Amino acid sequence: MKLPRASVAVLGFGLIWAFLILFVLYPLTRIFYDAFTTDAGHFTLANFHEFFTDSFYLRSFWKSMLLGVATVFTTSVIGIAVAFLIVRYDFPYRTLFTYLTMLPLILPPLVGVLGFVFILGRAGTVNVILMDWFGFEHPVNFMYGLQGVLLVETVHLFPMMTLSILDALSRVDPSLEEAAQSVGAKGWRRFWTITLPLTTPGFVSGALLVFIWTFADFITPLVVGVQDLLAPQAYLNIVQFVDRRIFRMGLVISALLVMLAVVFVLVARQYVAIKDYSSLTYSRVERRQLGPVARWFAVGFLGLLMFVSLVPQIGVVLAAVGRGWALTPLPVEYTLEFFEQVSIQTPRFIVNSFMFTGIAVLVCLVIGVPMAWILGRTRAPGRGAMDALTTLILAIPGTAIGIAYIRAFHYPLPLVDVPLTSMWIILPLVLAVRRLPYTVRGSFASLLLVHKSMEEAAQNVGAGKLRTFRDITVPLVWKGILVGALFSFITSIQEASATIFLTLGGWEMIPFGIFTFYIAGSQSQAAALGVILIAVCAASLFIVNRIAGARVGGLFG
Amino acid sequence: MARRWMRFAAALTLSLATAGPAAAQAIEDELVLITPVAKTLTDPALAEFAKYAKEKWNVTVRTSALAAGTPVAYGRIVEWKGRPEADIFWGGESALFDKLTEQKLLAKLELPQAVLDAIPASIGKPKPIPLKDPKGYWTGTVLEPYGLVYHPKVLARLGVAPPKDWDDLLDPKLKGNVAQCAPTRSSSSHATYEVILQRDGDVKGWAWLKRLGGNTGIFTARSRDVPSVVAKGEFAAGFAVPSYMAFEDRLAGFDIKFVAPKTAWITPEPIAVLAGAKHPKAAQAFIEFMLSERGQRVAMERGVFPITPKYRVQGAPGSRAEMAVEFTGGLRSYFDVEVNNIYDDSIAQARYEQVNQQFRKEVEAAWQELKK
Repeated sequence: MKLPRASVAVLGFGLIWAFLILFVLYPLTRIFYDAFTTDAGHFTLANFHEFFTDSFYLRSFWKSMLLGVATVFTTSVIGIAVAFLIVRYDFPYRTLFTYLTMLPLILPPLVGVLGFVFILGRAGTVNVILMDWFGFEHPVNFMYGLQGVLLVETVHLFPMMTLSILDALSRVDPSLEEAAQSVGAKGWRRFWTITLPLTTPGFVSGALLVFIWTFADFITPLVVGVQDLLAPQAYLNIVQFVDRRIFRMGLVISALLVMLAVVFVLVARQYVAIKDYSSLTYSRVERRQLGPVARWFAVGFLGLLMFVSLVPQIGVVLAAVGRGWALTPLPVEYTLEFFEQVSIQTPRFIVNSFMFTGIAVLVCLVIGVPMAWILGRTRAPGRGAMDALTTLILAIPGTAIGIAYIRAFHYPLPLVDVPLTSMWIILPLVLAVRRLPYTVRGSFASLLLVHKSMEEAAQNVGAGKLRTFRDITVPLVWKGILVGALFSFITSIQEASATIFLTLGGWEMIPFGIFTFYIAGSQSQAAALGVILIAVCAASLFIVNRIAGARVGGLFG
Repeated sequence: MARRWMRFAAALTLSLATAGPAAAQAIEDELVLITPVAKTLTDPALAEFAKYAKEKWNVTVRTSALAAGTPVAYGRIVEWKGRPEADIFWGGESALFDKLTEQKLLAKLELPQAVLDAIPASIGKPKPIPLKDPKGYWTGTVLEPYGLVYHPKVLARLGVAPPKDWDDLLDPKLKGNVAQCAPTRSSSSHATYEVILQRDGDVKGWAWLKRLGGNTGIFTARSRDVPSVVAKGEFAAGFAVPSYMAFEDRLAGFDIKFVAPKTAWITPEPIAVLAGAKHPKAAQAFIEFMLSERGQRVAMERGVFPITPKYRVQGAPGSRAEMAVEFTGGLRSYFDVEVNNIYDDSIAQARYEQVNQQFRKEVEAAWQELKK
């Protein structure tokens, strides 16, 4: 039987919506239901009343806000400086730095902060040297407190800021700056009044992502003993099931995290049209040569930045090969046993990671590419909602998604009589949902590069919409799709926050392995797995970089 | 549309379910634990059990352990509502096992009477610690003390003598150097806080806990983190609950020491088969194995003590068993010594949430002020 083309399209459209409703909207409504009801299932606002009258929770709330704003500030200063140098100037090793400055982004959760503690902790390399060689009586507290969280988040997230404004910066019409110059606005003044305002959309979306990321990260604060923040409170309250009241407050805080994320997205949207999709179009900007002093200054700045960014990696590598490392600047005993334990003896972390992430990326492609096409090439109803949903997914904290899934899918499914939470497919599913926006954005952005007239030409000679998509559009945009997919891959394989709650025995992926080794006190094995994950991601990022140059910024918008 | 997905999921599960052979065997070929016991103990125990099953029944058992802190493990078992994803719950406080029995979430143990009889009903005075369930739903597996860990090098740097009793943690020189895990976060830590509260009574007990708060440099997310941060030298001392986790850091090459104060509580690390378990025979076989000499020896290698007077921790000089003896202060069996226990679990369970709440308010939330 041959279905009419229109109904194939409608069916596809319907399937995509079914996917979004079932795996995004439904679970989210479930945690809101939990947050607004009593144990008996009656509607109540008492949970929120308790939150906003409890001084500890309130302090967590304000400290989370403060941390978010502080991180946005530090990442902006560094991120903008880096982006400006890379886009506008030529200096030695520029291409190398373009790649290197993205590296911190692939620091797996937990591993970054552990690496920092190994080097900058109270008994870390730096403090040991200060105490043993320079006679410090007490260690300097770099890590334990909000300052430690800020340090880790800044180093981890400044590339996100760089990427977000990189494209905006390169698209600022040089004539505008020239005009400013001709009326006397030079240097900083021109930068403040002309260049920077023009990059606002990129900046706002970057700031939003940095803010929400920091806001939702529970692992980093916990390692450095900061518990009075929202995300750690949500996590800690939920992972203890015994005290049901504290447990419910964990759900309430998760719901609050989602609500706040939605509010931030809406506010940001109000302020600028947040998604400037044409960001992968790249008008060439003439790069200026820096003077001899300035160029070495630039290299020095980036080199120093890279050195600080590499601190966690160095710490993790040392911990992965050091045995019983404590209170000495470097490990005394070296071994490869930890690598052997986590790869050869128990290969399942690595095997599961590749399998689940692979499936997740496939789902991303199957759902995401048609979504991009619907958004970019059709006038199907509900496009606005679909688009908003995509942005929303980016903003929802992983912890909240994980919790939402466990609450929403622990009922036995009809026919099989097994809940979805008992089937491993839930892991690739949740990964796919989390990272779908990258594939959609990546495909969408490159779709905009294909001039519509090419597709129209194909249609004029009788090709249907689907055929045109297959024969004309896809071959032209595969690069963008591939970059989007690779980004979905990198971010999925590092995902921990959503999967920690859903993983059952035998399904462990690398980040979960890192987490369980850390929980079991085996920091060296955790570090060894971390090194493996960093290597996989660095290689993937290198491929992205080769294909797309530094132009992946549009993915984040 | 939802149906479509469910059919897809159904097909998928079916294909997964038929993957393994389902022939009638003496025991099933799979076994899953859910446990707060560290993998350093569960992994060797499961590996040795798999060997034993192969020898005895020629069955290759695929074993796995779902690692989860006691509260999480308990919570998941409750959420599974009698359709568990694991066969055995191992570790934690016996009171939680009683709670699970009440909810009909545990299956009765089917062990030879001689095996159960070898385990004394309780240990310790004036408050006896039950070592097995009179109703037969759970049994203890090993004994382990809840005590203190410290890093000798860090203490020396601070000019503090190695601690002997809980009170030594209050030394002003330790300010900012104590690591602790709040009772809200860990049921085993909770038990240690109760030891203090029950030893000193409410008024003095809470004052003590506040003073400890003033000395605290970090509240860790889990009790296991306390020995970790002490082993690394990040902090000087803290509660080690239970001892064998700290022993793992010793095995990993760290210079960490353990001491069990006189009033230290000991736990029998209970074990039980979950009601509705998919592999009930393998589960019962595993428990019987753990109580056999072979199983007990595996555990003793990892720094815990036998649950029956029949065995004592002993090994060749330099062996792990001997290291464990040295680590825990020369003890070879808790049945050799007078066990002094003041911790009453029924008091603790009756006010569990209240203690949590008070700790949260008066210590955690007031931490900044306490430190002054």
